[in-house]
Amino acid sequence: MRNGKSILSLFLVGLVAFAVVASGCIGGEETTTTPTETTTTPEQVTLTVIGPWSGAEFDAFKKVIDAFESKYPNIKIEYKTQRAEDLATILPLQFDSKEAPADVIAMWGWFITDMGKKGHVMELNDIINKDDYVSGVLDAVTADGKIYGAPFTAGAKPGFWYRKSFFEKHGLTPPTTWDEFVALLEKIKGIEGIKAPIVTGDSVGWPISDVTEHFLITFGGPELQYKLINGEVKFTDPQVKEIFENRIVPLLKAGYFSEPIEWTSAVTAWWNGDYALYFMGTWLTGMVDDPTDLGMFTLPGAKGMVMAPDYWMIPKYTKHPEEAKLFVKFLATEGQKIHVGTNAGKVATYKNVPIDAYWEPMRDVAKVAQGAVTVPDLDDSIGGEWQQAFWDQLKLLWVEPDRLDEILKILDEKFPKS
Amino acid sequence: MRKPRMSLTPIFFLLPALALMLPFVIYPIFKTIYFSFLSPDGNFVGLKNYFQVLGSSDIVNLDRFPSSSPPWGALIHNFVWILIHLPITVFLGLLLALLLRREEVKGSSIIKSIVFLGMVIPMIVGGIIIRFLFEKGVGVIPTIFNLFGFESLYKTWTAYPDTALFAVILGSIWLWTGFSMLMYSAGLAAIPKDYYEAAIIDGASPIQIFFYVTFPLLKPVTMVVVSMTLLWELKIFDIVYVATGGGPGGASTVLAIQMWNYFARQLNYNYSAVVAVLLTLLTMIPALWLFRRGRE
Repeated sequence: MRNGKSILSLFLVGLVAFAVVASGCIGGEETTTTPTETTTTPEQVTLTVIGPWSGAEFDAFKKVIDAFESKYPNIKIEYKTQRAEDLATILPLQFDSKEAPADVIAMWGWFITDMGKKGHVMELNDIINKDDYVSGVLDAVTADGKIYGAPFTAGAKPGFWYRKSFFEKHGLTPPTTWDEFVALLEKIKGIEGIKAPIVTGDSVGWPISDVTEHFLITFGGPELQYKLINGEVKFTDPQVKEIFENRIVPLLKAGYFSEPIEWTSAVTAWWNGDYALYFMGTWLTGMVDDPTDLGMFTLPGAKGMVMAPDYWMIPKYTKHPEEAKLFVKFLATEGQKIHVGTNAGKVATYKNVPIDAYWEPMRDVAKVAQGAVTVPDLDDSIGGEWQQAFWDQLKLLWVEPDRLDEILKILDEKFPKS
Repeated sequence: MRKPRMSLTPIFFLLPALALMLPFVIYPIFKTIYFSFLSPDGNFVGLKNYFQVLGSSDIVNLDRFPSSSPPWGALIHNFVWILIHLPITVFLGLLLALLLRREEVKGSSIIKSIVFLGMVIPMIVGGIIIRFLFEKGVGVIPTIFNLFGFESLYKTWTAYPDTALFAVILGSIWLWTGFSMLMYSAGLAAIPKDYYEAAIIDGASPIQIFFYVTFPLLKPVTMVVVSMTLLWELKIFDIVYVATGGGPGGASTVLAIQMWNYFARQLNYNYSAVVAVLLTLLTMIPALWLFRRGRE
């Protein structure tokens, strides 16, 4: 009896197996007695993706790729590392030749919009729902109502980082007023072994632009940041000049900021106690030995915070537009949940990411970011030659603060005309 | 007497090279020149781009030159580079070659190798080394100046507009002197010893021997060293890009950096083409000079 059941079972399994094999042999098309629908075996597709990350940063992003590949087994991701600065030199020429080095590319927001307006980048309005994202995050990649870029996670630039152990050792506390802030810097300056209270991260130039933007947003409000981005307020405007003159320049002249030094070596020097404070993005949490020792405070009265998302675009010349869209949609939604769970030190721009999804040392910062008014990065939004000039002129300001007037004039002169 | 018929054979030998040169060298050169006369929307604008580029303070900044610290403009920075870098590298190369030519100088080949190291280091790495050489607290240059009491120079040279340009020029001297030394060493080795023996028998002093025997015989080598160094100084990009990025405030920018800024940051290919054409014209001066002297 049992043998009979086994034979029957084997026969049925064999029948099913035959049916499966047979369905595969006829090209994936299955004919039924009521054939109104055909299903197709998904074709294996490899998407080439270019992003800026390597090393530990790529390890964090790889988790997002792995999750996508598990969800869509027919799509394989081939990742290449290339920085935006390098891509900027080759992409416009390749696009003009109707070629693209990859199916999905991470790039500056202003660049994506520029290429989108020239017809080289796919519109993503059908996969990106504006309401699902932190306000303002899509501004940099939107033109005439068309969304050309998908936001990924963002590096928030919330304030000055310090080591809790250092503050405890020297009896320091985060300031609540401007006067307390200046007093704190003066107190730190007097600590033996301190080279300067605040280390100025540099090399490319953006760390100085970040701290400058923090001052502009704190004392001019988020609306000033928007007006500067849109060219509605000039840098020689009294409101802007006043912030530089009364807030930044006195600190520079008092020696509270260090000379601009290479930003990654600045991390080591600051962590080792050569400096007490470091204005840096949230990715700093992934760069230190003990993220639980990290403390952070904003400038007293800060009314907003810069969020600098990484943006993805799909060149129109991709051979796999549908798969590329799937991947980009994943990055902009579920991918963000995975990425914030890693030690990349990023915050989500997608609203549906719960705090629990975050890597533990980032949860407090994420809560601050969620409660703050977020504004786009000034130089990333304007871009082009001006961005380079902004970085460079601020480096000059840091070592020769007396040249403020000349510097602000140059920033206005170099601002995009239209 | 019949004129000999010109053979076509050499032309056939040249054809493979020409086939490569035409699409990859000749065509881009003419296309770049063509671009330099166009506006971004493709209209012919004559010399307007040239006037605008040359009139820009990024290229020539006479308001600051020479009374104030840089930025003086990329073109002037290139000339400053030539004024400082050219005589020092040529002189240092010659001096080292003379000092190290004698076999009795122990370890001369090791010293030569160390000096030549600058030439074999990738220039990107060279730029990073320059940045650290001139960084306060880390670099040897500010430390040395501090030891000798020059406290104003105990700072990160690449961070200040009055020292950034000179930091990259001095760094470049270190990188390029190996070339000059090597060329002069080869030139010295090629001078027959008989000349020196004859000069000594005639009672010539070492200084007379140098000025009447050695230096004149090194003239072809000097020509090559000077022209190659000039080309290097005009096309310099990588070490500046890495060491200072052309800053602060454009204080160390050079023509090639400005060309890249127009191209990659401003996406203004026409201005970039103008700088490329200017650079080509400038580099042609030493190249043509070398070519003519070579024919003589």
